[in-house]
Amino acid sequence: MQPIQDKDFDQLFKDRFEDAEITPSRDLWSSIESEIEPKKKRIIPIYWLSAAAILIIATVGIMIYQQQDVVPKQYANNVATNMNPVIVEPQVKDSSVSNTDLTKDVAKALPAHVKPSTTLVQTAVKENAKPIEKQKVISEPDIQKQETMIAKVEEPKKDIKTKIEEAVFKTKEETVLAANLNEVIADEVIDSSYPAERKGIRNVGDVVNLIVNTMDKRKDKVIQFRTDDDDSSISVVNIGPFRIGKKSRK
Amino acid sequence: MLAVCMRYAKDRMEAEDVLQMGYIKIFQKIKEYRGDGSFEGWIRRVMVNTAIESYRKNLRSLNVVEIDEAYEQPSTGFDFGTLGMQDLMKVIQKLADGYRMVFNMYVIEGYSHKEIGETLGISEGASKSQLSRARAILKEEITKMEGFGYATYTG
Repeated sequence: MQPIQDKDFDQLFKDRFEDAEITPSRDLWSSIESEIEPKKKRIIPIYWLSAAAILIIATVGIMIYQQQDVVPKQYANNVATNMNPVIVEPQVKDSSVSNTDLTKDVAKALPAHVKPSTTLVQTAVKENAKPIEKQKVISEPDIQKQETMIAKVEEPKKDIKTKIEEAVFKTKEETVLAANLNEVIADEVIDSSYPAERKGIRNVGDVVNLIVNTMDKRKDKVIQFRTDDDDSSISVVNIGPFRIGKKSRK
Repeated sequence: MLAVCMRYAKDRMEAEDVLQMGYIKIFQKIKEYRGDGSFEGWIRRVMVNTAIESYRKNLRSLNVVEIDEAYEQPSTGFDFGTLGMQDLMKVIQKLADGYRMVFNMYVIEGYSHKEIGETLGISEGASKSQLSRARAILKEEITKMEGFGYATYTG
């Protein structure tokens, strides 16, 4: 026999193995199957997750939309005045003081006039612990009352009329402000009784709280940041039935 | 497909491991199959690549035992008719890992020496020399198996 050539030798192997089949052991497929199956299981939760996410977004959107419908004017006011609460806050103090100063002269003649400022402060203090929806309800009628009372008072003494008007205008503006500030810190502010003590927007948490407060008028906000210390941290997350963090106090 | 894996593996166990990995890969990458060429050919390529990959992984952990240089066989022919595929498989599996890889890739899968060198991370020359050594060892083994070749050689 002739020594076999490499090429032929290779060809012989190739022929033998080209279509060679060996039946694998029976257990092999089951082990392959078990490795493939978990992938299928993972796909389903993704659909569920996306569905849940869409639901959440939709509900939040509807909530916000509805609230915007209810009191669109208030938001405009609030947003405008909230832009620089740092500057305005000291005024709360000053004006309340000046308000009383101005009205001192007329105090006897117009006992009703002193009332508005004091009631305002009172409501502001009270509202610290009260739900926000109630705040609005309480504060607005108060302002109206003041106006009516002042309107009555204005008739007898016309020389102070302008003063009173100024004072009333100021207090009116500041009630809104005070209410808002209380909202921002509604969750935390039981200890610090006067909003004048607050320092305004210091960090991102304050900004978010502000925005959320204007958008979400419920007692339990969608999200609340704790801004007591310098670095803010999320204190409450409230999305539908899911609620993380401490419950809002009454 | 197991036959393909068997050629690249040392034993049946290893081959089945490779087969399993290969099939899992096929299921994962089934979308990448472009539809040109036969599906079987594609599966085969995946299998071969898986086998090579597994070999390269093992290369670090396993010490490749070099088989003593094979003796050039004297002029003996083979009667392949009596050798079944199973026998050839046994012989191939006996080869050192490196030889087996090169032999399989070159002879049966039809890779070029350049491709083999790139895939296995060896030089083209190394691929060539390993192939010829593999051939020599195989010839020797087959001759032993056949019996008469061994007799003539020693006698």
